Amino acid sequence: MDVSQYLEIFIDESGEHLQTLSDCIMTLESEPDNKDTINEVFRAAHSLKGMAGTMGFKRMQHLTHDMENVFQEVRSDKIKVDSAMIDLLFECLDAIEGYLDNIKATSDEGTEDNELIIKELNDFIAKANGETVPDKAPAAETVAEAGGEAEETAAPVESKLVTFELSQHEQKDIAAAREAGNKIYGLTVYIQKECLLKAARAFLVFRAVEELGNIVVYRPSSQDIEDERFELDFSIYVATTEPLDKLIAAAKNVSEIENVVGEEIPNTEEKVVEQVPAETKPSTTAKEESKPAAAAAPSGSAPAKKASAGKPATNRTVRVDIEKLDALMNQVSELIIAKNSLVSISSSEGGSFASQGFHDQIEYLERITTNLHESVMKVRMVPIESVVNKFPRMIRDLSRTLGKKMELVMTGEDTELDRTVVDQIGDPLQHLLRNSADHGLEDAALRAERGKPETGTIFLNAYQEGNNVIIQVGDDGNGIDTEAVKAKAIERGIVTAEQAEAMSQKEIVNLLFMPSFSMAKKITDISGRGVGLDVVKSNIEQLGGDVEVKTTLGEGSTFTVRLPLTLAIIQALMVEIRDEKYAIALGSISNIEDIPVKDIKYVEAREVIHLRGMVIPLIRLDKILDIEPREQEPESLTVVIVKRGDSLAGLVVDNLMGQQEIVIKSLGKYINGNKLISGATILGDGEVALILDVNTLM
Amino acid sequence: MADNKIETTEKSTKQYIVVQIGNEKYGIDIGYIDNIVRMQKITRVPKAQVYFKGIINLRGEIVPVMSIRTKMELEDDVITNKTRIIILKIEDKGLLGVMVDEVCEVVTLSEDDIDTMSSNAKSGKDSFISGIGKKDDTLISLFEINAIIEEKDNN
Repeated sequence: MDVSQYLEIFIDESGEHLQTLSDCIMTLESEPDNKDTINEVFRAAHSLKGMAGTMGFKRMQHLTHDMENVFQEVRSDKIKVDSAMIDLLFECLDAIEGYLDNIKATSDEGTEDNELIIKELNDFIAKANGETVPDKAPAAETVAEAGGEAEETAAPVESKLVTFELSQHEQKDIAAAREAGNKIYGLTVYIQKECLLKAARAFLVFRAVEELGNIVVYRPSSQDIEDERFELDFSIYVATTEPLDKLIAAAKNVSEIENVVGEEIPNTEEKVVEQVPAETKPSTTAKEESKPAAAAAPSGSAPAKKASAGKPATNRTVRVDIEKLDALMNQVSELIIAKNSLVSISSSEGGSFASQGFHDQIEYLERITTNLHESVMKVRMVPIESVVNKFPRMIRDLSRTLGKKMELVMTGEDTELDRTVVDQIGDPLQHLLRNSADHGLEDAALRAERGKPETGTIFLNAYQEGNNVIIQVGDDGNGIDTEAVKAKAIERGIVTAEQAEAMSQKEIVNLLFMPSFSMAKKITDISGRGVGLDVVKSNIEQLGGDVEVKTTLGEGSTFTVRLPLTLAIIQALMVEIRDEKYAIALGSISNIEDIPVKDIKYVEAREVIHLRGMVIPLIRLDKILDIEPREQEPESLTVVIVKRGDSLAGLVVDNLMGQQEIVIKSLGKYINGNKLISGATILGDGEVALILDVNTLM
Repeated sequence: MADNKIETTEKSTKQYIVVQIGNEKYGIDIGYIDNIVRMQKITRVPKAQVYFKGIINLRGEIVPVMSIRTKMELEDDVITNKTRIIILKIEDKGLLGVMVDEVCEVVTLSEDDIDTMSSNAKSGKDSFISGIGKKDDTLISLFEINAIIEEKDNN
């Protein structure tokens, strides 16, 4: 059988199973006696093995098989879970992941046999059984299989062939088949509970049976079977001249088929209506399904019916290439630009387009495009789960290598972000976690001295806040020693001793984000290579976000990563400076003030304003952006107060033009060295405006 | 229809768009050209390289516009109603606009019509030129596209 069409499903599902295994093994480590977890682990391993076998990945199957054996022994209380075993199991998972990566890249599992791991696994089992027969593994396997089935197929496997209510059309088919000298047999096929590709199995059964005869009736409908809308059994009526035994044998020949029962359907002309057993869900659904199916199919022979019903129906989810989503997003962007230009025409040439209807329609259009944009954005959103899932395992490994006790507490894994952001957020977060584990948490002795619990806590909290997603990563460890940072900065020549004295705590902490500033006293393979927080920061800024730190010496530190929900379209305030137009993201604006020039004060020769108890530095945009200075300064300035984390700054502009939804476009690859401008956008009248990057201004 | 036969003649030929920059005529390989547009409002980009005049909106796309005069260290552009922006399409890097004084004509040059530059001239502004084309009496300096798009280190 050609399995390539299932490869993608296989890769996805294996990934999920691996994640389950990893999670469960983590749980097992802390609660070795948790029966539920042991069962879950066993099931995941078993499914993985079954799938690898179906797809013909022998090495992967072999390894998972032996791993499953170990779980079997644990389940039957022959082995206790200990840390050596957990380590080995994680090695196993890594090896399986290696296979999976190979399969992803080349559709082949590769040639690594991982004999060492397999041998160790078998040693475990051997030890548990006190050096018993050498071929213990296969024996354990049968136990496992039997155990699995005994437990899971509590439902009776007795013959329960149901005589279905037949549609007229189906009766006609059966009658026609009988006239041609065929006998009608009813078969009920039970698929193993572990089977993952039920539809594929059913298809194989059909193919085997159709070599011997024609299938005239499907329960559930062939369409439902193809879409896997059935539990573990399905029934068919076969018109054939072959004996029943042969049919059953052919069907049983397909792997992962648990049982096949069959009987001859007596030739009664009148309709056989028997009570459909209430507990068999598939047959009840079949009853409902049979009418539309029959109505849809034109009266004809059985194969013709199958072909007409065999077209794919709707699925609950659709796999879409990310490129197609990007294209969709671009088109929505174009639409918004076009909409903006309509809006600007309608407002500027009010005279000729003054009719109420026109304005109503424009407003309607605005609502639609905004909703459309939101919908497209939602389609592109994925939970950060896929990225943060690997962290518990990483922290566990770090705990081992560093010899510190620590645990990771995560919340908000279901927070959603744009796909592109999620793909790129993994590395920075990983780095922050490693930082916490390595530099943040103190060693056990110091923790005891400070009266903290022996096990250090590292946390990762994600949540949405307005148009941003906040991810906090931190620990209850030592916090950042600002004096040490200061000393280091002076030593490295980043700041002079005098400058350092004048710096606020916050400014000193921000030194950590300078390139090549590493605080690790000794270089470990975890962190401390000098490519550290500056890379984290630049990665996050590339995504349009920012990162800041809060720390208390002796109590711990928290890194707060703020990311925009969307990358392509934002709400912005349009401002004018002389004849140039700029956009400022609404999300970073705190408020807007008119400040009389006489209220400007000076602190260290820099212009500041004193506003409601806060001292806010003024930034003259015209100077920074090399715009001709004004000939005469007006009496009062329009100041847009922007915020970045906790700090504020006032941007001096000439005019406010209003709020607008803008589509962010890149400046391209030619113009470079421009950090002040994060992109450009096209205004309603076709003019281009630049988007100011508030983060780099401050 | 018959004109298309040019492509099938034995000698390999290329078509060039001939543009006027100052007193010289320059040729740009037509294969790189996406479009030619009239002068339009260019939005200045602060802190960009000096030879970038800014960006324009080309049917919804943002395209940076370069002054080839500034890049070649000639005197500044004088914008007339003959000024055009040649939109070049460069693989990997996308669209790039180049301002020229005037677009003159399209010529077809065969290899025989082109003198490749002697290697000792590989300095200064000459490095923008890959060869000299001869068409009737006029000499056409053929642009080396990569030199135009390349970043100048000393800037």
